[in-house]
Amino acid sequence: MKLLEYEAKQLFAEEGIPVPKGTLISRHKETLLHMDTLPEKVVVKAQVDVGGRGKAGGVLMADHETVMETARRLFDTRIRGVPVDRILIEERLDIRHEYFVSITIDRAKKQPVILFAETGGVDIEETARTEGAIRSVSFSPLLSDIPGFLLRELCGNAPADIQKTVNRLYHVFCRKDALLAEINPLVTTPARVYAADAKLIIDDNSLGRQGIIVNRDLTEREREAEKHGFSFVELDGSIGVIGNGAGLTMATLDLIETYGGKAADFLDVGGGAEQERVKIAVQLVAGVPSVKVIVVNLLGGITKCDEVAKGIVAAGIHQKVIVRLAGTNEAEGRAILAPKGYLMLDTMELAVKAAVEAAQ
Amino acid sequence: MIYGDKKTGVLVQGATGKQGAFHISLMQEYAKSVGGRGVVAGVTPGKGGQEVHGVPVYNTVKEAMRDHDIGAAVIFVPAGAAGDAIMEEADAGIPTIVCITEHIPVHDAMMAIAFAQMEGAGVIGPNCPGLLSPGEVKMGIMPAKLFKEGNVGVVSRSGTLTYEVVDELTRAGIGQSTVVGIGGDPVIGQTFTDVLARFEEDQQTKAVVLIGEVGGNLEEEGAASTDLPIVSYIAGISAPPDKRMGHAGAIVEGGEGDARSKIARLKKRGVPVAAKPSDIPRMIRELI
Repeated sequence: MKLLEYEAKQLFAEEGIPVPKGTLISRHKETLLHMDTLPEKVVVKAQVDVGGRGKAGGVLMADHETVMETARRLFDTRIRGVPVDRILIEERLDIRHEYFVSITIDRAKKQPVILFAETGGVDIEETARTEGAIRSVSFSPLLSDIPGFLLRELCGNAPADIQKTVNRLYHVFCRKDALLAEINPLVTTPARVYAADAKLIIDDNSLGRQGIIVNRDLTEREREAEKHGFSFVELDGSIGVIGNGAGLTMATLDLIETYGGKAADFLDVGGGAEQERVKIAVQLVAGVPSVKVIVVNLLGGITKCDEVAKGIVAAGIHQKVIVRLAGTNEAEGRAILAPKGYLMLDTMELAVKAAVEAAQ
Repeated sequence: MIYGDKKTGVLVQGATGKQGAFHISLMQEYAKSVGGRGVVAGVTPGKGGQEVHGVPVYNTVKEAMRDHDIGAAVIFVPAGAAGDAIMEEADAGIPTIVCITEHIPVHDAMMAIAFAQMEGAGVIGPNCPGLLSPGEVKMGIMPAKLFKEGNVGVVSRSGTLTYEVVDELTRAGIGQSTVVGIGGDPVIGQTFTDVLARFEEDQQTKAVVLIGEVGGNLEEEGAASTDLPIVSYIAGISAPPDKRMGHAGAIVEGGEGDARSKIARLKKRGVPVAAKPSDIPRMIRELI
């Protein structure tokens, strides 16, 4: 799950990374702005999950005179289509230099990888095109600190405080179960180093132990699906898809596309799907307004086909259901479905073809 | 066969849980049908002394190792404890560790896999269906009745999609040497490259089906690492960007790892890529 800037900055500050003094204001909540404690020069920043926020008009300069008016104006705009519900008002820094640092996971090396550039800021994507402008190091995940020689290699001529901050960001990355921890720009002022912006993405498999209760990145229906342990993605076609296993479900979607149809969703019921969960899955997909027909494609590994069949029947939905079932307790599953008149086909190709025809 | 055979004694971690116990019974059934040793011990902390389908349960992996000759382990413990289980087995000296568990925090997986590597153990998974060598051994949850002994290796990031392909192969009369599910997570132990290296050394394997999906570039890396004849299938041509398609690792990020460019890169290497799973048997026949 992606955190917003002000949330990420709170977590950065906990690990000792200096962040600018700031106040959060919300559209729907009264806030007392103590003008005397507010610095004369401020930055007014929309808290939205949008890339290139600065260039899209989400970051405005203001002072004591103009801060209220600026915030009001920002609440009334959309940043790349996203409404602004929260604004962070921060002290404006006397920036001398901007660096870029980003920590993520190198899937091929199975290690953390740290990217660093001596020229950070809003033009980082252009910087990235220059050969050698972004340096990177990766190392064993069993280490609790970035080794000093790698920090020196990574940060080059940057001041020692920058190296210290990069290592602290690595602590955030590990302790907060992050998939991405990034500071762009990481700035120096005459006084010290600051994380002027902050990006943090938390591993969805770690939300529980990080104390995050609701995954904001999901739609309401996706959240409902998650509660039942399904992987669910809403798409915009007319053929509802339920499969078991991510690969098989994806292959079912691909086959629909190959035969000229369009899938309405991706729903993986997961392993060990029981009657009640299958029933809920079928009802959930049937509830997607664009769904005309549902194709259920299940190969039993951990999944028991008879359980699945009972669930499909119990869902009692009005749309046509085309079923392909194979695997553990297959015969029992078939015996439950056949008398109910559900179209049962032997292969996923036959089932998908029938579904594409039915949707037309 | 690779990773194990009839003589391999298997340990199941999480033996007394619902899934662990259920799959011990299926693995035992398979071992019996092929005359293999199958599951020789189970481990669940605090449940030592119990039995699951006739398999003795121990409190720790080290205790089980004292009483039994164990060549591989299969993990069914919950996500929060799975990283620890991998490390316990690696520390005890088990060379092959199959981790079925899904939803393991990626930082746990990354550390446990690095730890296992240090101890000289190979981790298959996490978030995988395990492996099956027809006529020899089953370590995991693959439905055995779909399989048939033969000369084609299968390596895949998926579970059920693998069964689909195996089913197609078997129906077409093409048997398998070993079928390995390497897992759907962003960080996995054995990659396509590792499994293909084992297949190269395996006398029985004449060709390999490589089943990939969106996310990362392990498929291309694997295909580039071997001289074995390969047929590939990549799932996810219809996957929208920045959405996780069921597997934690199945995500097109920053315009990278999408199915079409993966397929294009494989084809450029001369690897035939099937448009749909049912095309695979014919394409394998053309290779061998």
